Amino acid sequence: MLPLSDLLIWSFAGVLFGSLISWIPGFHIYNIIALLVAVFGVGELMPVQAFPFFAVGAIVAYAYVSAISSVYFSVADESAVFLLFPTQRYLLLGRGHEAVLLYLIGAVAGTIILVLGLLFVFPKVLPPIYQATSPYITYFLVAIVLFMFMSEWPKEGDRGKTVKERLWLAWRQILGGIFVFFLSGILGFIIMNTNILPTTSAYTRLTPMFIGFFGMSWVVLNILSNPPMLPQKPEDKIESSIYNTLKASFGGAFGGTIAAVYPIITGGMGALVAGHMTSQRGDDAFIISQGVNRVIYYVGAFSLLFLPNLRLTRGAGAWLVSSLYTPKSHSEYIAAVGVILLASGISFLFTYGLSKIIARSFNVMHIKKISYFVAAVLVVISYLLTDWMGVVVLFVSTAIGLMAAAFNTRRSYCLGGLILPVLVSMTGHTGAFIHLLGLG
Amino acid sequence: MRGFTHYISGLAAATFFPALVADIRMGILVPVIAAASAYFPDFVDFKFGKFFARRDYEIDPAPWDEKKHYAPKLVKIKDLSEKNHYQFFAIEGRVEEILTRGSGTISYEVFDKEGNVKTITEEYNTIVFTLSDGTGRITVEAFGDDYKMFEEEFGQIEEGRELLVFGYVDVDPDGSLRFIVSDAPHPQGIAETIAEAIEKAYEEGEKIVKIHNIRLPGDVYRQFWIHLDPPKREVRVEMGPIVTPGGVAIGGDVPEYRKYGIAKVNVPFIKTYPKPTRIDSFSGPEIAFRLTKHQGKPVVKDRFLPWHHGFSHSMTMGVIIGAVVFLLAKLFGYSHATDLALASMIGQWLHVFEDQLGFMGSNLFPPITKDVIPGFKLGESGSGLTNFSTAWLMIALMIWNFNRFTDPRPIPIGDAKLLLYLIWPSIIGFGIAIVKSFRLRKEIAQLMDYYTNLEAFEEMEEVGGI
Repeated sequence: MLPLSDLLIWSFAGVLFGSLISWIPGFHIYNIIALLVAVFGVGELMPVQAFPFFAVGAIVAYAYVSAISSVYFSVADESAVFLLFPTQRYLLLGRGHEAVLLYLIGAVAGTIILVLGLLFVFPKVLPPIYQATSPYITYFLVAIVLFMFMSEWPKEGDRGKTVKERLWLAWRQILGGIFVFFLSGILGFIIMNTNILPTTSAYTRLTPMFIGFFGMSWVVLNILSNPPMLPQKPEDKIESSIYNTLKASFGGAFGGTIAAVYPIITGGMGALVAGHMTSQRGDDAFIISQGVNRVIYYVGAFSLLFLPNLRLTRGAGAWLVSSLYTPKSHSEYIAAVGVILLASGISFLFTYGLSKIIARSFNVMHIKKISYFVAAVLVVISYLLTDWMGVVVLFVSTAIGLMAAAFNTRRSYCLGGLILPVLVSMTGHTGAFIHLLGLG
Repeated sequence: MRGFTHYISGLAAATFFPALVADIRMGILVPVIAAASAYFPDFVDFKFGKFFARRDYEIDPAPWDEKKHYAPKLVKIKDLSEKNHYQFFAIEGRVEEILTRGSGTISYEVFDKEGNVKTITEEYNTIVFTLSDGTGRITVEAFGDDYKMFEEEFGQIEEGRELLVFGYVDVDPDGSLRFIVSDAPHPQGIAETIAEAIEKAYEEGEKIVKIHNIRLPGDVYRQFWIHLDPPKREVRVEMGPIVTPGGVAIGGDVPEYRKYGIAKVNVPFIKTYPKPTRIDSFSGPEIAFRLTKHQGKPVVKDRFLPWHHGFSHSMTMGVIIGAVVFLLAKLFGYSHATDLALASMIGQWLHVFEDQLGFMGSNLFPPITKDVIPGFKLGESGSGLTNFSTAWLMIALMIWNFNRFTDPRPIPIGDAKLLLYLIWPSIIGFGIAIVKSFRLRKEIAQLMDYYTNLEAFEEMEEVGGI
């Protein structure tokens, strides 16, 4: 293991790196770490044993600081053409800083739950439970996907004048979601199973697709909707209750843990399941649970790489790191827990301070200008990681991401890009599917 | 219970069949049909049944703008009529003539939580003018708090000025229309329509009322409550604040003088659930008013979401699902068709049983039973406690079954001990839910006792006993 001083320096470097880039809309820490590895390499500037700790710092920072981009830079226009996320509603009411504070409460709760879990629960409970349930992961995955389709809540249909009209309005949205899922799935399948992207981009071939689905599509919406930059209140005041905080923390932790432990199941899917199980209601509870969920999902999933008696590789960050160095000792596990606490403290202060600054100066620079800049950077990242075909993939996936918004369906249907090809592969139908698509 | 609770019950039901567990382990995913069967009753009701349901009265306090899908709808003056009484709209036009500018005194009634009336008198400023939009002319009136809002928005009003005005339509005794500046519909229209539906149900047997919600720009909703007050033979509608879909109030309270709508009902009716109906985000509810007997006397009773918990939520439906799954599985050559059919049937039955723990109840054995059998009242469908306790129990049972049916066992401890380790959170959750349910059951029992005594009172009054 690295000397403690080196470990602290690289962890701190990770937090700093993560904090500086995670507030920018459309940027994802995994993409940036991949870019870092691709462009600068690891082993020259940084010792390989330090890389997991650098990554922990950066991922913790992302789990905290990305609240800024989701609250302040996923801006909706006043007419709310599409349904809004609770954070966007807070922003439209001038309560963006309050939304960040609620998120931070959740993130701190998530960190405490995660650290306690890593120290006292996960090493004992996770291995046997995982042993008992891991052969059935495909079953759970299919079950969750089927539930996503079956449980889509028709947001329209009530006001149709005839039965036929009502059914069409309701099912238009449901069918739109299924369409987005399969379209994403086909794109993901093509990317995973053909040479459309260069083989040198093995670890980052899905990156442009995800940037398009979840990053670029928001950025484009910001540009198209040209939202007003409303004054924000920078006061440290929240409206919630201890009961809501506890309930949201419990639900968020539950969903985050499911997503962290089981492959392919993302934080959004975990949150869907946990939200139903704990019957959550309320914007404040939703934002708090998002904070808990994201910390446990991102940081918890990565921490499993350190867990000595299980050592699961979950998430793109863990795969990237494990390709260079996998932590082996119990002391590295304990050190990782310490880094999580340290990084959380720094990230909390950074997020809080940045939110205050942005709330005070929210209308200084219009989101449209920032969005143009970010869009250009996202294209450059895609190009650097996957060449010109990556840029093409970026445009296609952006169009699919925009479709999800236009159909008023869950944006998580875009996860079809990952889920469908993995399911096809898990069930042994890759060859048949390639044939069906006329790819070979 | 929430959808996922039912769904996970079906997932768990499949794991009680060793053959199905073995199939899942080998990557045969057909047993997921049991989970779909468990969710099927809600899927059918909310994706189809809801849209096929009859609507005898459709209350739309604030019709949507067809392009933007929120209220207020921009209308032409020529399109307004008496039918739009109390509905919330927007009109764009030119001020033709200012009729009155001044102040006066207004008296209005307010209600407390028990429905007691208090009269309030206060000074107000007002402006009355005619607005023309090329298709017609209408009198526009702003007074009280709405005048302040109007003045803040438009400043001094002069003839010839172009305006986009929000408000509700009012009808004068002579039948002419007025447009009252406001930021919400008037609740009186909702109250009157519900009262009429109750009276018609008393005459004709059943009337179903669809009440639409009020969606405003920014994906926020005007919340309102419907109080059915059988002892006073009243329907009261209370207009509330603007709320987000997550239920957070963000202000926009309406002035007291247009906060309440009250309509008298001339027939006896009872309410079966001791809370008012709240309408805000998602879609508005349907309420059926049905003529029934209470203590041997005809009375109208309410039933929330009449298309829900019918045949789809019956044990009979479970048998049909089992039979259909069996036939399809056989047709496609699935080797464990019987197990799958049984798991699917049990999954659907679990849904019915879980819903029976709540308030609505279900029509359990049609065609033998004709109407819903009341629920056990353990908790509301949205209760986090009962939902989590049930879902956790199902997760525990799945892990338990996976362990039992795997050799060697991944968790090498005895079945009973493992089950106890796994299910204790559910035992605690259900324990708390049972204790909490006593209070609500007591409230409902008291309400029914009250109705019974009330009717006795009325009978005495009829024969001159008081």
